[in-house]
Amino acid sequence: MTTTAYRSQEEFFLDPQRCIGCHACEMACAECETNGQLAMIHVDYVDRAVSPQTSVQVCMHCEEPTCARVCPADAIAKDELGVVHSANAARCIACSNCVLACPFGVPKKVEPMKLMMKCNLCYDRTSAGRRPMCATVCPSGALWYGTRERMAAMRPNSTPVNEFRFGLQRVKTRVNVMMPKGSTELVVDGTEAP
Amino acid sequence: MARLPVSPEALVAQYGPRLGFPPKEGFPGRDEPDRVVPTHCCFCGMQCGIKLLVKDNRVVGFDPWEEFPFNEGRLCPKGVQRYLQNNHPDRLLSPLERVEGVGFRPVAWDAALDRTASEIRRIQEKHGKDAFAMLSGVSLTNEKSYLVGKFARLAIGTRNLDYNGRLCMVSAGAGNKKAFGLDRASNTYADLAKAEVILVAGANVSETFPTLTHWIWQARDNGAKLIVVDPRMTPLARTADLHLPVRPGRDSALFGAILKQLVDRDQLDRDFIANHTSGFEEAVEAVKGYDLAWAEEVTGIPRRKIEAAAEWWGTAKTSFLLHARGIEHHTKGVENVVSAINLVLATGRIGKPYCGYGTITGQGNGQGGREHGHKCDQLPGNRDIENPKHREWVAGVWGVPEPEIPGKGLSAYEIVEAIHRGEIKGLLSICFNPLVSLPNASFVREALEKLEYFAAIDFFLSETARHADVVLAGSLHEEEEGTVTTAEGRVTRVRAAIDPPADAWRDTDVLLDLARRLGKGELFDFSAPAPLAGTREGSLFTARRIFDELRAASKGGTADYFGITYEKIEANLGVFWPCPSLDHPGTPRLWEDRRFATPDGRAHFNAVRYRDPGEVTDPDYPVILTTGRVVSQYLSGTQTRRIGKLVEQYPEPLLEIHPALAKSLGITDRDLVRVETRRGAAEFPAQLVTTIREDTVFIPYHWPGRKSANQLTSGNLDPVSKIPEFKVSACRLVPTGRKAPSAAEAKAHASV
Amino acid sequence: MLSTLNLRALGWALLASALLAASVVAGSRNLQNFDGALAAYLFATLFAAFGIVYRYAVWLQRPPTRLYWRAGWRLLFSRRFPAYLAELARRLVDELALQRFIWKRSPKRGLAHVLLAWGCLSAFAITIPLVFGWVHFTLKSGTIDVYEAHLLGFHAFDFPLGGFVALNLFHALNWSSVLVLLGVFGFLRRRITDAGQISTQTFEMDLMPLVLLVLISVTGLGLTWDYELMQGRAHAFMAISHAITVILFLLWLPFGKFFHVFQRPAQLGVALYQREGEAGAQAVCPHTGEAFASRLHVEDLKQVTSELGYDYRLTGGGSHLDLSPQGKRAALAKAHLAARSESGAFFG
Repeated sequence: MTTTAYRSQEEFFLDPQRCIGCHACEMACAECETNGQLAMIHVDYVDRAVSPQTSVQVCMHCEEPTCARVCPADAIAKDELGVVHSANAARCIACSNCVLACPFGVPKKVEPMKLMMKCNLCYDRTSAGRRPMCATVCPSGALWYGTRERMAAMRPNSTPVNEFRFGLQRVKTRVNVMMPKGSTELVVDGTEAP
Repeated sequence: MARLPVSPEALVAQYGPRLGFPPKEGFPGRDEPDRVVPTHCCFCGMQCGIKLLVKDNRVVGFDPWEEFPFNEGRLCPKGVQRYLQNNHPDRLLSPLERVEGVGFRPVAWDAALDRTASEIRRIQEKHGKDAFAMLSGVSLTNEKSYLVGKFARLAIGTRNLDYNGRLCMVSAGAGNKKAFGLDRASNTYADLAKAEVILVAGANVSETFPTLTHWIWQARDNGAKLIVVDPRMTPLARTADLHLPVRPGRDSALFGAILKQLVDRDQLDRDFIANHTSGFEEAVEAVKGYDLAWAEEVTGIPRRKIEAAAEWWGTAKTSFLLHARGIEHHTKGVENVVSAINLVLATGRIGKPYCGYGTITGQGNGQGGREHGHKCDQLPGNRDIENPKHREWVAGVWGVPEPEIPGKGLSAYEIVEAIHRGEIKGLLSICFNPLVSLPNASFVREALEKLEYFAAIDFFLSETARHADVVLAGSLHEEEEGTVTTAEGRVTRVRAAIDPPADAWRDTDVLLDLARRLGKGELFDFSAPAPLAGTREGSLFTARRIFDELRAASKGGTADYFGITYEKIEANLGVFWPCPSLDHPGTPRLWEDRRFATPDGRAHFNAVRYRDPGEVTDPDYPVILTTGRVVSQYLSGTQTRRIGKLVEQYPEPLLEIHPALAKSLGITDRDLVRVETRRGAAEFPAQLVTTIREDTVFIPYHWPGRKSANQLTSGNLDPVSKIPEFKVSACRLVPTGRKAPSAAEAKAHASV
Repeated sequence: MLSTLNLRALGWALLASALLAASVVAGSRNLQNFDGALAAYLFATLFAAFGIVYRYAVWLQRPPTRLYWRAGWRLLFSRRFPAYLAELARRLVDELALQRFIWKRSPKRGLAHVLLAWGCLSAFAITIPLVFGWVHFTLKSGTIDVYEAHLLGFHAFDFPLGGFVALNLFHALNWSSVLVLLGVFGFLRRRITDAGQISTQTFEMDLMPLVLLVLISVTGLGLTWDYELMQGRAHAFMAISHAITVILFLLWLPFGKFFHVFQRPAQLGVALYQREGEAGAQAVCPHTGEAFASRLHVEDLKQVTSELGYDYRLTGGGSHLDLSPQGKRAALAKAHLAARSESGAFFG
């Protein structure tokens, strides 16, 4: 892996309410050289019947990645930069544990290939000092990649948050979500009527 | 004789639209391209910068161009996928000739061009000069737009030339000329950054100009209040501070009511009005009865929302008003536009930092293309074809006696009507797919079938080109050098990344050759010398020579490009016109000197009395039908309906309908609903959403044949701008009692 | 070192190595048929067996692996035994023999992998019995051109020297080498030209295994080259260099890339588990209202994540894991929308 040009002071920032659901990120993600024309990012309507709101989700690159821990084949690795990689193609046995256990709903199983694939922070680009494809093309700033200082200057009334609580479970991630100023965590603890 | 030579299904099988996908591991050579060409996206008026990767004369991929100031690498899905129009299996690789019962067969350029030239002369000798018409489009560069204007007037010698901008923003152009004397957005989008209030009317920015979203969101980061006027809750409207869900066709009532509020509350810039405008009293007089109760009744917007909008607009120190097709595609397009401009003028917030106004031009070169003479009433530099002085100037540049320039011709839809009447017998088209984009599609099809001769210049066999006698295989955006002017008025450079494949020609070469065959070669002396002919260098040579003539022709006009050169554009990553001299830096923000381009130097208020749209609902047709766009498709879809992933994103047109209306008709999700208007009927799957007005349904229009929304729209035109009323029709909804087949079965992208 | 030693795994590994050693002794008739020149290979193989079993045993102790290991065997020997056996046989051919899923990743990759895999497996199938002394050849007494093949000390068959059988038998390893080399070059080409591979590959996990296989194959072919064309003048060099590369390969087997050969069959257990899941109740996402996985799997994962120290239970009852991936993404978007709405500003 060529990591010499990786700019470790730059981070990924996600701001879902800015998302306009255009899917540019998805198209661009598929162009990423590690992805074989498949998109790893997810853009979905939350509930189109009542709103054009969309969810947009890249891999959050957890500090303690649930996906890697539930993998029976030791196929998912986090590297020294904190990037959680796509499943090792030699090892992945396509069991879907990661797909179902990831609290952010990120990994994708590509059934015919018997392979889990996921966002690896555009490793081909970031390791060469470039910004991830999705965050470069995103026309709305829902996805942004750069320094914390620049983000603070652009959106002074928001705070990047990288701590989440899913029910009782705390999850700390490498990727940030932009929240109202002063927020310390994003709590996902709703129970939805079936 | 322009009926289809064989069934449309057979033509689809041979020429598409078929879906193009990149190979799984990308096109070969993407990692090690021969060239990385900084150019622009071909879709929409934002003209985002993008780098194309070229290997072995093929565009094999793209890279974001982060240095380009407008979009800094940002793109929409169309931009990301634009490179796939290259390498497409449907690409026309040689001229084609219609063969009855067979379809099309390749034909040599000589034969195709000779036949076209002789048919032009034959029809003109028999029926008069103006019996041969030309239709053009503004996805063409400035150079090609200019060339088409000159070609039609001098080489063909017809007055009947018009363009697809007629279906785009002509009412904005006309409104701007009335109010300011000049047709350009008054500001760059940088002036959005610190606007306190941003009013976006009839512009689904998040789907039609996604990269403009950045600038609006940036303004909101800085505290701007966003007001969105739209009958649907668009993604932009979802988080807006105020969403005014206007009943389609009632925009001028809303703007009139807001003007009255401003006057009543005295939230006016009296100094500006007194010193720099005219017509204020008449404009106020026109709206004196438009109180909030009346406005609520007419527009369907709750009065407190109208009041809030007026309050915010009235008290802001800085503001930006943007509009697009939503208020322009009306029989009152010009009235809607000038009534919006009245709000800008009343508060004097123009010609200053963060005080802006502009229409968001839709087509790739919608701005530049509408300035240089391929409108039926216009000469280069946005000159008036009926103004003797303007004619004299252009005749001088062209080196012809002034009377040789024909007068004002018919507009696009009127050309179709004239074909029906038998007044126009022959047609040459380029960059226009009227069978999908004009209203009243069946009427348009019948017109095409009546033509004695129809030649189309196109790179794919569009739905319209299927009716041609001869198809001249032209070039894609990435195959020719030139310039385009963005919606901001920024003139930028488009580059020839590759040569046209096989026996396709550059559009410019087709027109120049045809001019020679029509005996007018000496007026079109732009071709590159032999060693360069047909190469990218040759394209640059020719484009430059045409641009130099365009500069001279535009000199002194309102759209003055004289001081713009290729070098200057490249060095500055764009130059804003007007730029009257070589040492002039260009004009990003208009009207800073308060000297408007009108004859009296003042900005003009226009009195607008509300009137109903061309078609109103009645017991027979009780529902309002409005049409629009989706983010993954561009215009008539000739290009984007061939790009697999774009098609998959939104594969077929859906009928957006409010659950309350749906319930009253017994319609549920995915039910196939027959939509009927006075022009025709078509069936669409229902999509139940609460994000649309209860009295309105919406269908996006990019699809052909039985899936075309324009089978339903009317040919009612704005009296001034001749723009059709795409945004308002009266319809009735008839549930078919069937569920719609899946999108994969429907194959709407290639519908016949 | 000792503290991280996994005693259970150690036990299994020792047992496996001992059994293997015993089978060598028995199969070579008390080492009577054992070729002393191959002793180094034998010890390396014993070490590899130890390492592989140790690592495998450690691996099986991880909760998710244990889940599939146990479920796989339990399901196979359940009342659906015939159906599952058939499924297993089908997948054995489809997935392990033909490796069809790799062809789906890319046809070139599939071809390269099949060549490489079958080259390696056939080479092992030939060398291991030879190394263990389970198979050996002797000149048939009373002849000068007929060989006898012996299996586990028993006479198996005769074949004439210089005949078709002899040619293929003595050159079988060369054919394996050619398969391996073709496969390796397919992979190397990809690793050198594919930008995505280049950016994520590592030397030790991705390139070194390929280099090692090239060395083994080339030195192996070198033995024949020396024997046929150089009259054995370079035999010592060829034999030693081949031995060194093969032994390196064996020693590295439990630790590196090639361990996946032993992990891959787990895919079959997963397949049975998934079939069982499909036959049972499905988990329906409360957000999308659609089935997205088997209830069995979702419930097992709740158990597994809890064993791993995660607690995704919601405070109001239920679990975050009850949501489908899309449901989880929507839940996050909704939580974010709620937080933004409450603050009164979507932007800034």
